[in-house]
Amino acid sequence: MGAIEGILTGFEVAFSWEGILFVLLGVFVGTFIGMLPGLGPISAIAIMIPITYGMDPTLALVMMAGVYYGAVFGGSTSSILLNAPGISGTVASSFDGYPMAQQGKAGKALAIAAISSFAGGTISVVLLMIFAPMLASVAISFGPPAYFALMLLGLTAIASLSEGSTIKALISAVVGFMIATIGIDPQTGTGRFTFGSMNLLDGIDFLVIALGLFAIAEVCYLVMNRHKSSAGSGKEIGSLKLSKDDAKEMSGPVGRQSLLGFILGILPGAGATIASFISYIAEKRIAKKPEEFGKGSVKGLAAPEASNNAATSGAFVPLLSLGIPGSGTTAVMLGAFLVLGLEPGPMLMGDHPEVFWGIIASMYIGNIFLLVLNLPLIPYIARILTIPRPLLISLVLMFSLIGVYAISFSVFDLYLLLAFGVIGFLMRMFAFPAPPFILAFILGGMMEQSFRQSMTISNGSISIMFENNISLVLIILSVLSFSFPIAKSIWSKKKVS
Amino acid sequence: MLQGVNRKIGLILAILSIGYLYMSYQLPTYSYIPVDADAVPKTLGWVLLVLSVALIFSKDNDSEEQKAKRRIPKTDVKALLGVVALLLIYIMLFETLGFIIMTVLFVYFCSWFLGYKSHIVNAIVSIVFPVAIYSIFVFMLQIKLPQGILPF
Repeated sequence: MGAIEGILTGFEVAFSWEGILFVLLGVFVGTFIGMLPGLGPISAIAIMIPITYGMDPTLALVMMAGVYYGAVFGGSTSSILLNAPGISGTVASSFDGYPMAQQGKAGKALAIAAISSFAGGTISVVLLMIFAPMLASVAISFGPPAYFALMLLGLTAIASLSEGSTIKALISAVVGFMIATIGIDPQTGTGRFTFGSMNLLDGIDFLVIALGLFAIAEVCYLVMNRHKSSAGSGKEIGSLKLSKDDAKEMSGPVGRQSLLGFILGILPGAGATIASFISYIAEKRIAKKPEEFGKGSVKGLAAPEASNNAATSGAFVPLLSLGIPGSGTTAVMLGAFLVLGLEPGPMLMGDHPEVFWGIIASMYIGNIFLLVLNLPLIPYIARILTIPRPLLISLVLMFSLIGVYAISFSVFDLYLLLAFGVIGFLMRMFAFPAPPFILAFILGGMMEQSFRQSMTISNGSISIMFENNISLVLIILSVLSFSFPIAKSIWSKKKVS
Repeated sequence: MLQGVNRKIGLILAILSIGYLYMSYQLPTYSYIPVDADAVPKTLGWVLLVLSVALIFSKDNDSEEQKAKRRIPKTDVKALLGVVALLLIYIMLFETLGFIIMTVLFVYFCSWFLGYKSHIVNAIVSIVFPVAIYSIFVFMLQIKLPQGILPF
């Protein structure tokens, strides 16, 4: 099937009434969960997975993708209104969005955020449409060594780009990988670390980890902040209208940062959060009046909003074309693919064009829905923030428990869920980042497999990793990304002394 | 004291990695396979050991905001332990009493325990959500959830 036919198939899926319905459902749930401070896109996707059991995989994935970019879109609302970012990708949006809201221009801030997000999302979908098939056609020739090197790069990049201590991020990744080794080894049939338990023979399900480390752990923080009212209740949002000057001021940053956000989204390890910060800093550097930043600057809000939404589409490039997630959120998206019996990768475009192109095409519609949800309807939707915390906590816990039970029908997994919830809470408490953990857990099995396949091909010689140009370059990049933070910390220590 | 945090966590992780390594060396190996089932676990075990030692000797560079997260007020500890206890009861009785009964009770008492005072709204929510979800899973998706002592 040619690319044009594929694209047409995709639009057919996206414009069918079911397609439209599930995109709408996805972006609505995404906006909703993204808006709630504390719950992020990983929890949103993980909570939605059980609902897709038995659904048509294409529609299910169209919906999940909608949840993801919907969460990034919706996260800005609470950043602006409450100065409590709904998700980490919209922290930078609060720098100028919240001051603007305090000046009584909340409506204007929400409008800037929605329009910038829409522009960033749409520009990057066009780019996704161009780059994903290109990368897929290159990746089709990748052998096991190149895949292994690619995953290694993904892991080292996320560990070195994580906020805070690199050692902690690496520990988080290694432990995630260790958890992935539990269960029967698919190559030799050896049971590993099962402690003789039948329940562990199949390994631990990724949903247990995703819901435990993210949803349950995030709920623990909601429990601690249960008395805080999250509503800016009764506060006037003000006019949503933008002046011509505002539009003019936005256009530059939106255009530039959509592009930058998209590129950063493709790179392994980076994602919406890093993209939004880099875009904010970049715009501040080139601005004629940098002193306005942080005090309600239009540019300062437009830049991170365009960038974080562009980065979400960018993150779909490696996921759809290589089958390798570059971030924690896309790792959970990969898990959703696997639960539905699909394996993303270079073959996806040829074997399942309706999935590959359907997801991409649906993003156009999703972005339009998001614009409508986040512009005229925002005063009504913002009331979601008034849901009492105790009810919200109970319901999220309930959804997590059902999700795990419905995939394994095992009470043992519910205990595991609770255990990983406690681990996730402790990790947050002691500043161990959780995204490297989930990424390593999901990539771990695949990495081990491609490493051992490579070794079987070369009869046990490690040199196979360096014979192929692609894997050689990727391994060099992994070593660089791994040593960069170490070099930086040594350098800064020297400077201090 | 603050340096002690990294030291303690590093020590715990080092002990865990030694345990993991010990189990990795117990794994059976076969002679004709270039890379056996024990290779990756052994590597991971050693890497974690090195990293935990590095953590023991590394300075605590967390931001003040991060450090504030480590101090949990007593009332919150009680609330968290309470929720964990409710979850444990839920899981233990889940298959015996069934999904609907346990989930209704869980949602109601968990919300109440966390300070939600409106009993009527709470009762409506805690009945409507579990019943709706049970119907969707069992009747639409054909996924069996434990029915327990209820006849449907």
